Amino acid sequence: MSSATDRLSTVTGRLDQSLQPLANGFNRLFGSYVGELNGLQFVFVFGSLAAVVTAPFWGTFGLVRAMTVAAIWAIFAMSWDIQSGYTGYISFGHSVLSGAAAYTTAMLIHNVDPGLPMAITIPLSILAALVVGLLISLPSLRLSGPYFSLITFVAVLIFYRLIPSFSSYTGGETGIQSVEVFTYDPIVRYYYMIVPMLVIAVVLTLIARSNIGLILVSIRENEAAVNAAGIDATKFKIFAFALSSLPMGIGGVLLVHFTGGVDPTTFIAVDRSIEMIAMAVLGGMSSVLGPLGGAFFLIVLRDYVLTDLAGLSSPARWTIFWSLVLVVLVFARDGLFRKLWHGLERYGGGGGRP
Amino acid sequence: MIGQLLSILVLGAMISAVYALVAIGFTMIFGVGGVLNLAHGALIMIGAFAYLALTSTAGTISLPPIVGFVLAVAITAGASYVLYAGLVSYIEDNIVITFLATVVVALLVTEVIIIRFGASPSQLIPVVAGSITLEVVGTRIRYVELVAFVVSWIAIGLLWYYVTKTDEGRSILATSMSRRGAELTGVDLETVKSRTWLIAGAFAGIAGVFIGTLQSTAPEMWLNPLALAFIIVVIGGIGSIKGSVVAAYLIGYLETASIEILGPSFQGVLSLIVLAAVLLVLPQGLYGRELVHE
Repeated sequence: MSSATDRLSTVTGRLDQSLQPLANGFNRLFGSYVGELNGLQFVFVFGSLAAVVTAPFWGTFGLVRAMTVAAIWAIFAMSWDIQSGYTGYISFGHSVLSGAAAYTTAMLIHNVDPGLPMAITIPLSILAALVVGLLISLPSLRLSGPYFSLITFVAVLIFYRLIPSFSSYTGGETGIQSVEVFTYDPIVRYYYMIVPMLVIAVVLTLIARSNIGLILVSIRENEAAVNAAGIDATKFKIFAFALSSLPMGIGGVLLVHFTGGVDPTTFIAVDRSIEMIAMAVLGGMSSVLGPLGGAFFLIVLRDYVLTDLAGLSSPARWTIFWSLVLVVLVFARDGLFRKLWHGLERYGGGGGRP
Repeated sequence: MIGQLLSILVLGAMISAVYALVAIGFTMIFGVGGVLNLAHGALIMIGAFAYLALTSTAGTISLPPIVGFVLAVAITAGASYVLYAGLVSYIEDNIVITFLATVVVALLVTEVIIIRFGASPSQLIPVVAGSITLEVVGTRIRYVELVAFVVSWIAIGLLWYYVTKTDEGRSILATSMSRRGAELTGVDLETVKSRTWLIAGAFAGIAGVFIGTLQSTAPEMWLNPLALAFIIVVIGGIGSIKGSVVAAYLIGYLETASIEILGPSFQGVLSLIVLAAVLLVLPQGLYGRELVHE
């Protein structure tokens, strides 16, 4: 086994050496911000980036549509991760944040003025996500461990139950279906989703690699030590929640303009929060790009491979989806993409740091 | 007005007993193993659907309701044990992973049930048919509600006897008080945990059949009892059986009253708000202890 690994890494190591100059260029420019790459990792990152950016030119309609949805979910998964994955305060309530943004957009159009331009609804909706985020986080972050998770879970349930209670504004179970979509052109629509996702990925990676990210990780590892060092951990926990509600809001707005409407099952239900978590955990918690990969992997698998290629019914698809998540949770707790990443590092023969 | 109050009093007492059953199973698992079992609602659903599959006149086997009830309870207890031995025991050291894995199990069970039984709600045959009108109160009570009340209290009474009077039961109580202390006095932790999951599963099975009959039997029915379970458990104090019973009655009456007075669309909201308030003011609940890491 190990000899096979060795032989493989002599080949890949050589490959890595030949790719190293490319990576070196990247490392010289950005290495100090986002970490250094070896040749294989460089090709992996930029190869996937190129594949994602050019997808409409080589992918089928179904694949591109799945990737469009995946881009939105990648935003959710990354936002969840910057708060929960980094600080270790697991939130079950993130679907409320995207739901708040989506519902704000829909309710502004439905109840206030159908002619409101996106330039007004979008910023207001993102602001709504931030406000709801603070509403949830300010009281609940006084609690720790499972109690925090429980109260965020309760937040989802409260919002889910309130929607039918105020159905004259929210449209009840069926929701509001009169929101204008961005565009019907699948290719243009794809870029409407991919570009914000890439921007958010870069921004969150920069934050995660900065001192702020370091503090958030320290909170997860040992909150008492953080407080003892004179840093107010609670402030940073609230900051992390606020930070994650902004992209959640953006994602919510993208999703509402993608589907053309809101309803509680697509936006608020507990399943949606668990899906985000599943993507983040499957990709690898506390790694920003891991959740992105997890989202693409799971959504493309569910909406394209199992739907278009295998032609399975919806419950069968979800069964496979959740079984896979369960298997990864039990056997690969650190996530698939983290494993892949460290594999590339190992097979690259340590070329990253010459 | 008096009639309304009396009917709240009677109907609330009936449903609260079942709620107590739901919460006790959930709280015992937390007390003994430190595991928050978010698949508890799924176990309740398994109870309801097992009963449906065994007794439904449309199905292949249509057993008498009483036999179906006993078997459904046994199946749920078995499912609960399998969940512990096959999954939770491997991951219980990591609280976050356990949290996620159990909720994923709940979602998985939902999908499997949709595949097997379809997505629309089903109707359960009541364990005992018929109803009686209480003249004094001016409300109608179904016999199955009475049976639910009685069976729930018998189960709670038996459990009470078991954990306070028998050695096996006392080892469960001891473990929930201090894991290390119990181990030092010769309690086998694994056995105690397995036994707790079996009991919690049986309770969930009983509750499942009654909730399925009195409220609804549908693939998304796991969420409501789960929410109830931890509302009750958090208010009563996590790990405390006494707290669960008290809080179950609090929530049961609150719900019944809000249905009678405000209308059914506000059924759950009020108790959720009470829960949020309790969590903030009294995080350890009425009879609970702070969460201790050992």
